Amino acid sequence: MLIDNRYVPRHQKGFMICHWLNGVSFLMLFLTALPLYADTFLFVYNIFGAKTLQYMHRFFAVIFIATPFIGLCMARDGYSTLLKQAFSFGRDDLIFLLKFPFTLVGIEPSMPKQGFYNGGEKINILLQMFLWLVLVGSGLILWFGNGVIDNSIRAWMIPIHSLAAGIGFAAALAHIYLAVVQNPDSLHGMTDGSITADYASHHHGAWVDELIEKGTVTKKEIDAARRAA
Amino acid sequence: MAIEMAMLHDVARCSACRACMVACKQWHDLPADFSTPFNGQYQSHKDLTPTTWNLIKMNERVDAGGKFHWDFIKFQCMHCSKPACMLGCPEHAISQKDSGAVVIDEDKCVGCGYCRTNCPFNVPRIDPERNKSTKCDLCFDRIEHGMVPSCAKTCTAEAINFGTKAAMTKLAEERLKEVRMNHPNAQLYGVHSNGVGGTHMMYILPEPPEVYGLPVDPKTPDSIDLWRDYVRPIGKIAGVGAVAGLAGVFFLSKIFGKKGA
Repeated sequence: MLIDNRYVPRHQKGFMICHWLNGVSFLMLFLTALPLYADTFLFVYNIFGAKTLQYMHRFFAVIFIATPFIGLCMARDGYSTLLKQAFSFGRDDLIFLLKFPFTLVGIEPSMPKQGFYNGGEKINILLQMFLWLVLVGSGLILWFGNGVIDNSIRAWMIPIHSLAAGIGFAAALAHIYLAVVQNPDSLHGMTDGSITADYASHHHGAWVDELIEKGTVTKKEIDAARRAA
Repeated sequence: MAIEMAMLHDVARCSACRACMVACKQWHDLPADFSTPFNGQYQSHKDLTPTTWNLIKMNERVDAGGKFHWDFIKFQCMHCSKPACMLGCPEHAISQKDSGAVVIDEDKCVGCGYCRTNCPFNVPRIDPERNKSTKCDLCFDRIEHGMVPSCAKTCTAEAINFGTKAAMTKLAEERLKEVRMNHPNAQLYGVHSNGVGGTHMMYILPEPPEVYGLPVDPKTPDSIDLWRDYVRPIGKIAGVGAVAGLAGVFFLSKIFGKKGA
């Protein structure tokens, strides 16, 4: 059943909350530590005070670490879909990735039907999971490791933590661009939990087919909604 | 002072009177530090603190032959020739004077603690009140005016010696021969170049370094080069590059997108 004859239900509320917790805490973690990464941003320390930002960094670190655990309680389905999908990278995902750069410059090549997550999203999920582990591991060693782990090892956590943050930020920029600028329809999925039938069929055709098969939505509804769009 | 200086702790001469700890606090105007409760131990403070930059460590040890030893050592910043704290400071707040003293500029320090993490001797302490890194500064202000550091000035046992690096190296070599008569395992520490380039706080140790809690093979970590020469510059380029790339993609999509429509 479509919502308002137009929208396909996609994300549960808890999953959306975790998405925003993760995104906001990552960006705040990045901003509160930016003066240590680049001298250009020393003014951020001068405005807010180094001590305040360093405490904020720890505060958002707790949220960043807790988010997946909150998700396992609040959004079990969403996280299990995410994990299953990310670790089932197939041929169609690869074809999608190879053709994807064309879509960036506004050319629309014919794409294989994509599942709940497309090939690019799967790469992003895998990358984010890996970076989460690296950031949390190195961060905890820097925060609590003094006296437990030798400095000859702890010292390596500084470049590792910084590098992971840098890669994560670049990925975040791309993620935000694709969501807000290139596919503004996708944003609805993370604000309301649903996406238009037209967008779903176009970008997640294989997933829509699954939904039709399961009887969650009917082909008729989808076709009607797409004609109306 | 353009001459390289050094301090030499002749551990065999030290009586652990701790006058050097008091002199350090006097010169640097550091308050008394009650952070370690008294539980019958001889060592005054468990470790260095933001107000205790110089600590006489006192360790009781029974050797393999059942003989009792009391190991003293004066512990503070080593003033490395290749200081990890300075090289890894994101705010360039730490500098090395011509004398060899490694000094923190509190006006630039942001209290991030990278210096402590990078230090092979785990010396700097962040003052939580002021959020500034603290450590021994080798009384650089005194030595630049021809005086000796306050700890060396007060030492009655002539255990703390201070002078030019050349003179102290010579003294260390001479004393090592004498100390070896009673302590066959005696060795010099930091006098000659090592993984941190040698130190300006040097020791004649009657026993191997690990007995005094000193790293046997201290090393300025290579991770600092990775961080300073690659991670930071590449991060900046990647950040600017990502923004520029996305802007480029945006305009291209406007051009091609129109053609396609």
